[in-house]
Amino acid sequence: MSAIALPGIEVDPVADQESAASATWYAFRRNPLGLIALGMLVLLTLIAVAAPLISPYPRGFSTDVLQAPSSAHFFGTDSLGRDVFAEVVWGTRISMTVGVSASALAIGIGVLVGMLGAYFRRVDAVLRLVVDLSLSLPVLPLMILVAAVAGPSLGTIIVVISFFSWPEVARVVRSQALSVVNLPYMDAARLVGGGHAWILRRHLLPAVAPVVTVSVVLTASRAVIAEAGLSFLGLGDPNSWSWGRVLYESQQAGSMTSAWWTTLFPSIAILLLVVAATLVALAYNDARNPRGRES
Amino acid sequence: MPPIVWFAARRVAHGLVTLWFALTITFLLLRLLPGDPATAIASTNMDAAARQELLTKYGLTEALPVQYVKYLSQVLQGDLGTSFSQSEPVTQVLMARLPWTLLLTGTALVVTVAIGIPLGVLAATHARGALDRAIQVGGVMGQSLFVPSIGIFFLFVLGLKLQWFPIGGASAEDTYGLAWYLGVLHHLVLPCASLVLVSLGSYVLTLRSTLIDALGEDFCTLARAKGTRERTVVWKHGLRNALLPATTLLGLQLGFLVGGAVLTETIFAYPGVGRAIYEAVIRLDFPVLQGAFVLLSATVVIANMLTDLVYGLLDPRVRNA
Repeated sequence: MSAIALPGIEVDPVADQESAASATWYAFRRNPLGLIALGMLVLLTLIAVAAPLISPYPRGFSTDVLQAPSSAHFFGTDSLGRDVFAEVVWGTRISMTVGVSASALAIGIGVLVGMLGAYFRRVDAVLRLVVDLSLSLPVLPLMILVAAVAGPSLGTIIVVISFFSWPEVARVVRSQALSVVNLPYMDAARLVGGGHAWILRRHLLPAVAPVVTVSVVLTASRAVIAEAGLSFLGLGDPNSWSWGRVLYESQQAGSMTSAWWTTLFPSIAILLLVVAATLVALAYNDARNPRGRES
Repeated sequence: MPPIVWFAARRVAHGLVTLWFALTITFLLLRLLPGDPATAIASTNMDAAARQELLTKYGLTEALPVQYVKYLSQVLQGDLGTSFSQSEPVTQVLMARLPWTLLLTGTALVVTVAIGIPLGVLAATHARGALDRAIQVGGVMGQSLFVPSIGIFFLFVLGLKLQWFPIGGASAEDTYGLAWYLGVLHHLVLPCASLVLVSLGSYVLTLRSTLIDALGEDFCTLARAKGTRERTVVWKHGLRNALLPATTLLGLQLGFLVGGAVLTETIFAYPGVGRAIYEAVIRLDFPVLQGAFVLLSATVVIANMLTDLVYGLLDPRVRNA
């Protein structure tokens, strides 16, 4: 910490920040599990971006229905003769888009509410009550209700998931911000005459940033699971392939149990993404914690 | 007033506020969403006169605050509207399903705790060892599972290939007495195991970390210094104090477990509220969807309230907090 400025010794806060970041990265690199997980996330992102190069869009029907995996169809075909490999590759794109967008929206709301709650103690009681109440309700049935009324589309899914995911983010950010708002440097910021918005942005936000980083990854992976759940129940966008929709189509066609390849591969894709995201978050948490670095 | 009564009153009040919040959020969402708010009560495919009659009955032609008061009083009287597809009161449709969901989630919860406690203790007492690592990795994997995936896997391997368990439904036909009960248990195994797998991870991980903290506390050191056997220190001194955060987490997880039940019941054709939700989604039966959310929220709130009350009786720290 460079909180104490001694005469004659110049402390450059930016350089210090950089060294903290590089120390974290250095510790992260020594965690093999974290690196593999990070590589997995990068690979999935590449597949999502390069989907058109990897496989044609799973559009037309063919007579090759429910074919087992072969060299022509790596993951076999579904009940309408569409290539499951193509569905999973294009599903990566949609599932990750939903995960990232829903998480971005939820993080935005959650960080704002969490910081406001910790900073302005008067609104805290109300915000905390809302967060506590929404956390104790069964979220999936509520998402189903809203998605069903609003009609299935990618936009609906993203808004619905983020609308019910921000309370968790707000809770985490608030508890981190609470431990910071009473520190002397916040008083100092006020003493220099900083406005509320400036203090929140320049002093509180950097303090909660590490928690937010972890939250981004975890919220995104939960959003992917939530999207899969909604799509599996038939509430997904009928015009775009997500992993949940592949499972839904398989269930609707009754091939869920007869053609294992129609469910196994999208399931593995979901598991890989969520496990990789969780491991990256855990590894980042460990790497950031100086106490864990020595061992 | 004795503190225990005060605690109970506060807890019940909190439960009631949560329920009110659930009702209000449903009311607001359904009316603020784009589209015809009346579709939540009466289908647009209905006969115009019948639809108008329903709209008037539910007061959808009136101002929002009036609607709100009417809505609350109807729900309080157990009136959740009429199902489009079955033209039966929603309450009746769902109440017939509720026992199955309670059985499924209740059993899953009990099994999670019964397996979770030994696993958490094992991990905490072998902290940083190979066993601990294995349990931690397993916990992270478990948390990352997508319920339908694991359900389909069980269905395929244990139900279809090995034929150890039935692949759907909740009870065997044409059986009575003991055989019926055994059939119910037999049907419960796979859906319940799917739910336990996804909820076990976070329970074990939480218990592990709180137990490690508790075992490092002074009272455990004192117990060891007195010459108490390590087993007694762990189970009697450490675990008792580590159970509180784990139990609180379990309460928070209830909502998540109920969501998992919707997906599990869909896969195993289990006749609970979750399967009713799935059927209502296909038929766009909005009153059932709304009613199911209200009913499941009430279940979660009541279960949480009971857990907290029992815990308050057992642990003075909770009721005096």
